[in-house]
Amino acid sequence: MNKDIKNIKDKNEEETWSQDFPFHKQNATLVGRREFAKMLALVSGGLALGSGLVAAKANFFPKEKVTGEHFVCNKKDIPVGGGRSFIIQGSDIPYLLIHLEDGSFKAYEQKCTHLSCSVYYKKGTGQIVCPCHNGYFNASDGSVMAGPPPRKLPQLQVIVKGDKLFVTAPSIESV
Amino acid sequence: MSNFRTNQNKSNTNKINVILSAVIVILVLNVALQIWLLYTALNYTLDNDTGVATTAFFGSLLIFFICAGMIYYLPEGEIRKKNNLFSPSLQKKDEKLRQ
Ligand code: FES
Repeated sequence: MNKDIKNIKDKNEEETWSQDFPFHKQNATLVGRREFAKMLALVSGGLALGSGLVAAKANFFPKEKVTGEHFVCNKKDIPVGGGRSFIIQGSDIPYLLIHLEDGSFKAYEQKCTHLSCSVYYKKGTGQIVCPCHNGYFNASDGSVMAGPPPRKLPQLQVIVKGDKLFVTAPSIESV
Repeated sequence: MSNFRTNQNKSNTNKINVILSAVIVILVLNVALQIWLLYTALNYTLDNDTGVATTAFFGSLLIFFICAGMIYYLPEGEIRKKNNLFSPSLQKKDEKLRQ
């Protein structure tokens, strides 16, 4: 009786290792449906973990806000319909300051929200364009008009003081 | 000895096959849901909206527990059951079969 069990055991062990390391190529490429289902559950766990990381990032390490007012340039440096890119001291995010045809100034992050290409203002159209995959943003509020970008462009508030242009963090209403 | 369960299994030979396929379909749907949750959470987080990410995380976690639960119900199939060393009753059956 003991011997019988040992025999079964031996047979079983043999099967176990040959399942993991089959010597016929055909068996090695074969993924059973049970293994596939288990792998799906594993992927599901991975995705839950990823969501957890995103949530942790959102709650505990939020993006730093721009603090204070920063001088960019003089009014006359930017012609109507033109733009100027700038960075704020202490950060390496590129921004774009544009002078719209209606006389107002707007500042946005210059990185496209799709794949971070740099965007520019297309003169006379009221649109900010991303040349990489033809993304279009509304120049007056940064919202997406067409193309693949999933989010609107992050905006800074522009303050005009006499002849000088400053930017600061957006006020709550304008977000 | 034959009983209700064995008769059932004999008359519906495809049952395990169907259950396994159904489990896989449910798992695929769950994973698709999770991908969508992750994508949405990422977009809202980058847009400085943190509430969505937290909710999405709990949703995703719940779906993962459901997936893990489904794995528990994966039908084993007759061949594996026969070789099961950890179940004494099945072992006895096995011995009988071998005699
Ligand atoms: S990077 Fe701007 S549209 Fe793709």
